[in-house]
Amino acid sequence: MGSVFVSNLVLLVVAALVVVGTLSSLLAARFGAPILLVFLIIGVAAGEGGPGGIHFNDYWATYMVGSAALAVILFDGGLRMRIASMRGAIIPAVGLSTIGVVMTAALVALVAGPLLSLGPLESLLVGAIVASTDAAAVLFLVRAQGLHLGRRVGSVIEIESATNDPAAVFLTVLLVELLTTSAGSPGMAMVFGVLREMVVGAVLGVAGGYAIVALLNRVDLPGGLHPVMVMGIAVLLFAVTSLLHGSGFLAVYLAGLVLGNRPVRAIASITSFLDTVTWLCQIVMFVMLGLLVSPEKILVYALPALGVAAFLILVGRPAAVFLCLAPFRFSLKEKLFISWAGLRGAVSIFLATIPMLAHLPQAEVYFNVAFAVVLVSLILHGWTMATVARRLDVTLSDPAPSIRRFEIDLPGQTEVELVAYPVVTGTPATGQHALPSWARLVMVVRAGQTLTPEAAGPLKVGDYGYVLAPPKRVHQLDRLFRPQEVTPMDDGAAFPFVGEVRLGDLVSFYGLVVPDAELGLTIAEAFSDRSDDHPARGMRIRYGHAVIEVREVVDGRVTWAVLRLEPGRLKRSIAKVRRLFGLQPEGDDDEE
Amino acid sequence: MPLADLLAPEAIFPMLRASSKKQALQELAHHASVLMGRDQREIFETLLQRERLGSTGVGNGIAIPHGKLPGLTKLFGLFARLEKPIDFESLDGAPVDLVFLLLAPEAAGADHLKALARVARMLRDPDVVEKLRANRDAASIHTLLTAASTSNAA
Repeated sequence: MGSVFVSNLVLLVVAALVVVGTLSSLLAARFGAPILLVFLIIGVAAGEGGPGGIHFNDYWATYMVGSAALAVILFDGGLRMRIASMRGAIIPAVGLSTIGVVMTAALVALVAGPLLSLGPLESLLVGAIVASTDAAAVLFLVRAQGLHLGRRVGSVIEIESATNDPAAVFLTVLLVELLTTSAGSPGMAMVFGVLREMVVGAVLGVAGGYAIVALLNRVDLPGGLHPVMVMGIAVLLFAVTSLLHGSGFLAVYLAGLVLGNRPVRAIASITSFLDTVTWLCQIVMFVMLGLLVSPEKILVYALPALGVAAFLILVGRPAAVFLCLAPFRFSLKEKLFISWAGLRGAVSIFLATIPMLAHLPQAEVYFNVAFAVVLVSLILHGWTMATVARRLDVTLSDPAPSIRRFEIDLPGQTEVELVAYPVVTGTPATGQHALPSWARLVMVVRAGQTLTPEAAGPLKVGDYGYVLAPPKRVHQLDRLFRPQEVTPMDDGAAFPFVGEVRLGDLVSFYGLVVPDAELGLTIAEAFSDRSDDHPARGMRIRYGHAVIEVREVVDGRVTWAVLRLEPGRLKRSIAKVRRLFGLQPEGDDDEE
Repeated sequence: MPLADLLAPEAIFPMLRASSKKQALQELAHHASVLMGRDQREIFETLLQRERLGSTGVGNGIAIPHGKLPGLTKLFGLFARLEKPIDFESLDGAPVDLVFLLLAPEAAGADHLKALARVARMLRDPDVVEKLRANRDAASIHTLLTAASTSNAA
């Protein structure tokens, strides 16, 4: 009887923590606090140092549950990534996730040694533990805050965070091994080790992804079982790859990537299921990590840990980013943002449990330092990321208002997908002939009544529109159902232009300053040229006092753009010219 | 240049009739030609040429057709409220009922752009737009537009 009581008690506590975790999202939204931090704090509060008083120090369980949670989160991350948006970002990202990780680890080791009075290998271990950015945190932050990052910058930090765990995991495991056996030196073995982790992870990941696709399209399961099977395979893939000394994290990310970019049956139910499970994983993982930590022990190492965190954020990460990205064409602002986007999260805490499991003498130091670094990063980065992105001009536009898209499985085929959108005020969907030719309105639900599109006429606010569209293009429909900002973000006029307009024509109309090489190009061509043929909505080019911003891309070409005049900038540049020629006294600006 | 300088009190048309975009542009060109003493056709062609590049419908039921007219000596503005909203091929698909026409000299350069930006900014103010839509008196619309642009310029 006693054990039944205990298990019920455990259930009660776990379930209560999950419920509190979900409710805390309201709190986080109200105060703009990073929600992952809130989960962590709930864990700490429930733990031995907080009012909860739960004594939890099972590093093994943490490692296991944490691995599974991370695997699911990464799989979901891959699933949501469009391969088309990755081109041009892969090589810089992989550079960051290999050379960058090693560099960051080595740099952090330089200060960790003296600060924590550790030996060289031990300080390198501290570096390795905090060297990798956390995919769960990065993906989460970018998506949850609706941050519309420029394609290349967004892809680089996302791919980096998904692929840098192998290097960090391997480095950590290797250093722990070296410290336990206290023999041998790294060197070539290490390079081969990392390489092996990546290759095995990549091969198994891609193969696993295709296997899932084939399985889903061939096997008929009773309703509701597809998502469960997919999640099971993802965790299985993680475990198998890890057992074969490959990077399980890389494998599940790639498997998700393959699955998300192929036509697959039941994909709608899979994505919505994973969406939910990912949330659960985030809550479980962070609450558990919070439970594991003892606040009073963190305080012991607080000062040196803060030193490590400050150095990592302000020196280590930026140095690694600037060096790794030097061969690629990134602007200073982009590099600064990527430096700042080095979020640390569960992976670091989770890597810090490895020395614990190996019973290293200094294990507690690593763990508490890692925890402090993650805490600093969650607070600092989590709170400032959106602001920094906007300040550094790397966002495409203001966070887009979120839209709700309901995806409905159409059994029997994979060519088209049925999606439903609620029609809200201020969306282009209500216009005449709003839908593109490849999408077909099949049903309208208006005031509780189902109508054929013929009977319904154009969509009205309050309707639900049911649209058939090819899965690959479904996300392009979002634009039509997203409320247009009533006040455009910039102060100034914005005029729409079709993509086929020549820049030269705009020069005579608006006095744009266009480089000679682009004078003969159309708007669409200019954007294609400047984006390696991957223009995206919100991308901007500045031509003197005006900016051209992409509004719509169809089949990889800009079809609509808006021209924004910026009188403020215009005024300044005119005043500058006038002063230059002595036409206007200093400070005597126009009335504008 | 304050808006009052380019928008004459006579250049307000609170009840313009037009059933299509082309007809609206024709009507606007006609009224402008009378006020400016220029050829209507020339004005219409100028506006049409600009519309071919992309609609000047900026959304929310507002259009700002504009262009450069050779031989013009100063900026010319004209405001019309359409009796019935018409499709103007705006990006947001909303039918247009408020139209601000702006014609500039060939060499206007920055003044042209500044005026354009100012008109667009003023017509983005929901308060101003709401008042414009509620008003059918030319004189008070003129006051509204010129006053709004001054307060907006601050």
